Amino acid sequence: MKYWLVMLALLAGTAQAADELNLFNWNNAVAPATIKKFEAQCRCKVKETYFGSMEEALAKLSAGAKGFDVIGPSNYGIPPLAKQGLLQPLDKAKLPNLKNLNPAFANTPLDPNNQYSVPYDFTVTLVGYNATKLKEIGVQADTWAVVFDPAILAKIRGKVTVLDDPREVIAAALRYNGFSANSTNPDELKKAIATIKAAKPYWAAFNSQSYIKELTLGNIWVALGYSNDMYQAQQDARAAKRAFQLAYGLQKEGNGMTADSFVISKSAPRPDLAIQFIHFMLEGQNAAEITNAIGAGNPNAAAKPFIRKELLAVPAINPDATQASRLEQLADQDGKTRRAWNKAWTELKLQR
Amino acid sequence: MSKPVYGRVGRFAKWLISAPPLVYLLIFFALPALIMMFAAFRFPGDYGGLLPLTEVDPETGKQTVLITLDTWRDYLTFENFGRFFEDAIYLELFIKSFWYAGLTTLICLILAYPLSWLIARSNKKTRDLLVLLVILPFWSNFLIRVYAWMIILGPQSYFSRMLNGFLGWFGIEPVSLLFSQFAVIIGLVYVHLPFMVLPLYANLEKHDMSLLDAAQDLGANAWQRFWKVTWPLSLPGVWAGVALVFIPALGMFAIPDLLGGTNSMMIGNLIKQQFLDSRDWPFGSVLSIMLTLSVLLLAAVAAWAGSRHKKKD
Repeated sequence: MKYWLVMLALLAGTAQAADELNLFNWNNAVAPATIKKFEAQCRCKVKETYFGSMEEALAKLSAGAKGFDVIGPSNYGIPPLAKQGLLQPLDKAKLPNLKNLNPAFANTPLDPNNQYSVPYDFTVTLVGYNATKLKEIGVQADTWAVVFDPAILAKIRGKVTVLDDPREVIAAALRYNGFSANSTNPDELKKAIATIKAAKPYWAAFNSQSYIKELTLGNIWVALGYSNDMYQAQQDARAAKRAFQLAYGLQKEGNGMTADSFVISKSAPRPDLAIQFIHFMLEGQNAAEITNAIGAGNPNAAAKPFIRKELLAVPAINPDATQASRLEQLADQDGKTRRAWNKAWTELKLQR
Repeated sequence: MSKPVYGRVGRFAKWLISAPPLVYLLIFFALPALIMMFAAFRFPGDYGGLLPLTEVDPETGKQTVLITLDTWRDYLTFENFGRFFEDAIYLELFIKSFWYAGLTTLICLILAYPLSWLIARSNKKTRDLLVLLVILPFWSNFLIRVYAWMIILGPQSYFSRMLNGFLGWFGIEPVSLLFSQFAVIIGLVYVHLPFMVLPLYANLEKHDMSLLDAAQDLGANAWQRFWKVTWPLSLPGVWAGVALVFIPALGMFAIPDLLGGTNSMMIGNLIKQQFLDSRDWPFGSVLSIMLTLSVLLLAAVAAWAGSRHKKKD
């Protein structure tokens, strides 16, 4: 009798282990409650593995990492994955919820006709700032000048950090100079680099790791970073009852924007669960939970009624038509352009 | 008296014992180093890695070799080395990193020597406790300890405010400690200090006290006893500590990343950037090779100086 019980338990154990969805995603993207809900619905376990940067994830996947069903790359990471044959096309028949997508985010050049990907959130690269301090000294943060103009920076010297990321910072400098964030023109790149070179002496650090904390503590007053991180910083500062207010907003010269999407790995052990998960995440309420949890924008039109009101009032989360027209999705760069940008960035960081 | 048994069984047993680490080093050190040497002459791939030398037809699955006697110029290049030498900034970065690592080693030595001596001279019970205290920081994660320094050096910390209040009395402008070269050196010294203390302690502990008594009896004063007896005897420990601190400090990238400002990059950061951010493995390989060569050169110079010194004696 006991013997059989043990066998049964073992069998149940293996059956459970087999029904497992492996999700490889940005850390802190999908709310734990949403994952729990999906687990209850699919009667499976979701195992999450995280990455901290798109390049890190690309390096891992290009090197042949296996075992993931759903991957959640930034959209500019989709072409490299697709071109390397690491993704499988989506079976649209199993995704009736696809109609929920906001048309502005569907069918983008990074994945024509959404052959491989379904966007689930978007983040804007913008300026987060200490509103109280900037008001005291009379500096406006609605323009990239707050990060790039030496005349303004002189008032906030050593209180500014920018992302340690050539793609994002050069894109912002390009917009500041009136060019496209996806420019491949060497002369425009040169101007953007000159802008950064002039501003660099006033910056405290290239910081992608801890600017949320520095803003929250009041060590830094202006940070070039991601909208969802700024939301987090704002919440943290409020929770800690700081004597100052943190804010973040779009820049009038326009901002770089990155959508993140779900894709299915070519080598997915459970493509059936994968498509089920993507369908689930397209439901308005589940999609909205992402925005409610992390303060990222939402490419799902059906999500809007479920998003908290105060979040809908934030332009970086819910831009109006004019604001949306100034957001530029970062494109995948060809090898030559990327090498040129990276070389310029390396030399810029080394120069005094 | 016959030779001890282990002397005869030796040869085979020696091989057996040394095989696992040898094989390990071969696979995880020699082989990657070799791959790196080749990678340095190739072009980067579009999605990281290297530009492939072969191509697989997706339909037939047939593999064709792209590099031939006619096309090798498209696949092999000196460009990556050229880039390293064409601009002085890379050389400057090397000099700066050696300076950081050297300064860190020197500060560690100055701090660790008296401490190790003190530990070695205490009674058995206290000694064990003190050694435990030295290695205690390893119980918590390295990054957490560096983050702690970020808080200590941040402008809102009591430490920073007290220091700046103090400077204010003398009419000196407040200084920013975090995100500076100063913070990087503090971090480097903090993290590497135990690696200097432990070999020094292990060495100093073994010194025969009667030598110092003899020196004293022969009329040597405290300084002479240190400089003529203790210091020369401790040199093996000093060299071990210097190597254990200098080499890891030279390749460090996490500390400059977290504590450094816009001007505190080290070689490690640049190498990491090539592999993880820039998708430029060939240039990263060139930098790594240059780093290895310069460390070897330094070691060779030190060995040469050491042998000259010995001959003189």
